[in-house]
Amino acid sequence: MDKALIQRGVRRASFAKFSVWMLPWFALFLFGLYAIYLCLAEGLNHTNMDNRFAFGLWIYLDLTVIALGAGAFFTGFLLYILRQKELGAVINSAVVLGLICYSGAVGILMVDVGQPLRSWFTFYHPNVHSMLTEVTYCLTCYLLVLLIEYVPIVLKNRQLRQVPRLLVFEFELHKLLPVLAGVGTFLSFFHQGSLGGLFGVLHGRPFAFREAFGIWPSTFFLFILSAAAAGPSFILLTTWLVQKITQKQLVKQGVLQYLGKISGYLLLLYVMVKSIDSLIWINKTAPAAGVSAYQFYGGGTFGSWILFVEIVALGLLPALLLVSQKVRENKVWLVLSAFMVCCGVMLNRFVMTIQTLSLPTLPFDERLSYTPSWEEAAAFLCVVAYGVLLYSFTFRYSVLFPQERELEKL
Amino acid sequence: MVIDLDRCNGCGNCTMACAVENNITPAPNSRMNERNGVTWLRVFEVPNGGQYPESETVFIPMMCQQCAHETPCVTVCPQNAVELDPATGIVAQIPQRCLGCRYCMTACPYHARYFNWWDPEWPAGLEKQLNPDAAPRMRGVVEKCNFCHGRMHAAKAKAAASGSLEIAASDYIPACVESCPVEAIVFGDLNDPESKVSKLAHSEHTFRFLERLGTEPKVRFHSERSWVRAMAENSVGSGQEEQHG
Amino acid sequence: MFPWVYGFHWTVYQVVFLGAFFAAAGVIAVTVSKAVIRMRKDFQSDRDDGILWHADFNDLPEAAKLCRHTFTGEAKKRICGNQFDCGSCDYHPTVVRSEGEIGSMPMYDKGILGAQLPQDRLYHRGHTWVRREEDGTYTIGLDDFIHRLIGNPDRIDLPAPGAHLHANGTGWIMKKKRSRLRVLAPIDCVVIAQGSIEKGWLLKVRTDEAPLRLGHLLRGEEIAPWIMHEAERLEKMFEMAHVGCTLADGGELMPDIDKLYPKVDWESVWGNMLLEG
Repeated sequence: MDKALIQRGVRRASFAKFSVWMLPWFALFLFGLYAIYLCLAEGLNHTNMDNRFAFGLWIYLDLTVIALGAGAFFTGFLLYILRQKELGAVINSAVVLGLICYSGAVGILMVDVGQPLRSWFTFYHPNVHSMLTEVTYCLTCYLLVLLIEYVPIVLKNRQLRQVPRLLVFEFELHKLLPVLAGVGTFLSFFHQGSLGGLFGVLHGRPFAFREAFGIWPSTFFLFILSAAAAGPSFILLTTWLVQKITQKQLVKQGVLQYLGKISGYLLLLYVMVKSIDSLIWINKTAPAAGVSAYQFYGGGTFGSWILFVEIVALGLLPALLLVSQKVRENKVWLVLSAFMVCCGVMLNRFVMTIQTLSLPTLPFDERLSYTPSWEEAAAFLCVVAYGVLLYSFTFRYSVLFPQERELEKL
Repeated sequence: MVIDLDRCNGCGNCTMACAVENNITPAPNSRMNERNGVTWLRVFEVPNGGQYPESETVFIPMMCQQCAHETPCVTVCPQNAVELDPATGIVAQIPQRCLGCRYCMTACPYHARYFNWWDPEWPAGLEKQLNPDAAPRMRGVVEKCNFCHGRMHAAKAKAAASGSLEIAASDYIPACVESCPVEAIVFGDLNDPESKVSKLAHSEHTFRFLERLGTEPKVRFHSERSWVRAMAENSVGSGQEEQHG
Repeated sequence: MFPWVYGFHWTVYQVVFLGAFFAAAGVIAVTVSKAVIRMRKDFQSDRDDGILWHADFNDLPEAAKLCRHTFTGEAKKRICGNQFDCGSCDYHPTVVRSEGEIGSMPMYDKGILGAQLPQDRLYHRGHTWVRREEDGTYTIGLDDFIHRLIGNPDRIDLPAPGAHLHANGTGWIMKKKRSRLRVLAPIDCVVIAQGSIEKGWLLKVRTDEAPLRLGHLLRGEEIAPWIMHEAERLEKMFEMAHVGCTLADGGELMPDIDKLYPKVDWESVWGNMLLEG
């Protein structure tokens, strides 16, 4: 029914089947919108956040999706600046995923803050010493960059590219993509870092506080590294997932392995730096604030096992797996390792947000727990549903995987 | 400000006086509790962990400590909605500029900042007791103790009217200080060596919480009980003490 | 944010931070504007056809982009990297061969798959042919191979006399069933007269350029191997559509072939053969 909108030479499910796929996600999206409406209309008391857990599920998930969405800038950097041509196979998908992650994060942030209409205050009265100002500026600019990078993908639609103005505009914009990729890399470097810096500067929270290099705490650099390592893994994972769902081969054989290799080496570097940083923190920084490592990890749900899992089980292990060519050639292990990398980054973001806030700060404090409310979960699922809808729509009507046509076989 | 912990009996008058003076939002429904309610000043009950007859309790009124050095909330606010006034040393919140991002709340180690999770709403008739000198805040912004700014402005106006530059100490008394029946809270000009607060601040039994974090809070606590001072020496609890609002 | 806003101070931090932000925003704005300006310029200088061809060529599968010298054996499986613009190609001049010999040596009596490929004309990779007439004009038509594959189109929209065509730009549009097919123009020219399928030619043109660039057109010994390769490409497409045994050697393309194999995505097949994206 919509064949005229689908690119030539590839096969897509019937419109009916496509609708059956989209409908439940759309329903989830609407349900999430209702939860968001409640929070906006009646206040954030609909969440389970409180004065001690001022940041909750949403901030944690924002950090996670931005770390995973780093694949967009990193792939762009590798492809357009370092000229690694193989990544042309996944760049479109990476850009769409990045757009979903960043627009979703910004959307959730608008619900998370108490007065979303005042968002422009951060721009108009910036506090240049605050990490959050830096995050706000960079995220907004980078979202703009991603939107602009999304335009050529939309213009690749079969009907749209027949309009001469649009085709020529797409052509000229495509030639300038390296510039945008460069700006995107610059912006991403800073906001990924500043998100880490958010917690590293909190000298009232010794669990999160880290030594500074210049004006930036070590978490600034750790977040950049972990995001750069997780990005390619996330793209690997999603490409594999899309191939599984659509039952097609969308990229040539070596592409996924190449992504795994990049991820592996970067993760190895990250694990080394993180280990050194953790040692400094345990032996110098935290004791200077009068806290020993045992006080962070002793008792309660989050024992020292969490540090071990984060650095070794979900850090060193998948890194060693991914740098081995034999492992990369095994599809199961490749995907599993990529999954572990993503989980490791998710755990790291969890530790920096939720665990930090659960710990006592005053001598007579107690350790706290927090469970998200259904509205918080629903709002996040709204973003997930939005992502699936946007990705599916773009996959069907545009060209997400340029190599698909060549690989088309029944 | 110096709070004498040996005098405080945990009556909670200060908390109530503060709520009345500053138009703090009441609980709209039963879902507001000690973790999401607004209490610019709240009293903590901390036992010494001993068994009878050695068991003892100290009551600790906690409000914004007005940190002087690298004030955590000032440095992290993305739109400069918190200002440290160099003249008075008071850390003032600007609710009209606050975005409600709550970054300052994660930065504050004293749990002195409170978010308006609900729309402020006073039951019918109760709006008559609102203080016209204190602006109520809207939903979605952060607020905290500001040493009764309204009273300071009134004192300044009075001083200006009588032609003097300095406000009289007796004219500027925060609500909690005024309402304490045992005069446990002492307030005044720390820079004036003759003031009562200054003398108490320099006593050997006066301490501050979380000294090692380097925030240089202006609120000090005084206790001649050594176990209280020892408890305060810890930078972080072991997570076993009870806490009451 | 700006110097006149309350709270702004001329400190190093503010200047560096806001400077970096304005720089980044500026670069983004300039980039987008540049793209728009260049787009306008492209239309003014009539480059849009070339851009469409560039885009289409990139999207073609590799099998459709083989260098002409692969057909004649001078190169081994070389993919064209120059959008079939042999005149500006680095590789083409390095191949030593005789240029522009238009003889009349029919090499294959039966043609390939029944298609006749007279040697008195030059062929464009998009399956059109060009023939120089005695009066200096040129005739353009659809080659027999593609004609047999598509059959008689339901409708042809030819450019009007006086229209300018660009090599690899749009020649004319054909409608067949529900498919819209764009046939590429083989050379830069101006249309003088329109023809028809029945007449055996579709356009009479003249050219303003002297000498006319014909170097990218196939001729002589290249034609047959090229059509053989096209037949192989076609066979591959049928294989992927699971139509069973087809294109036996020595056979002919049957008329109304699209009716015989309805399961095949004909629009895709025709578009592919016509080098459309």
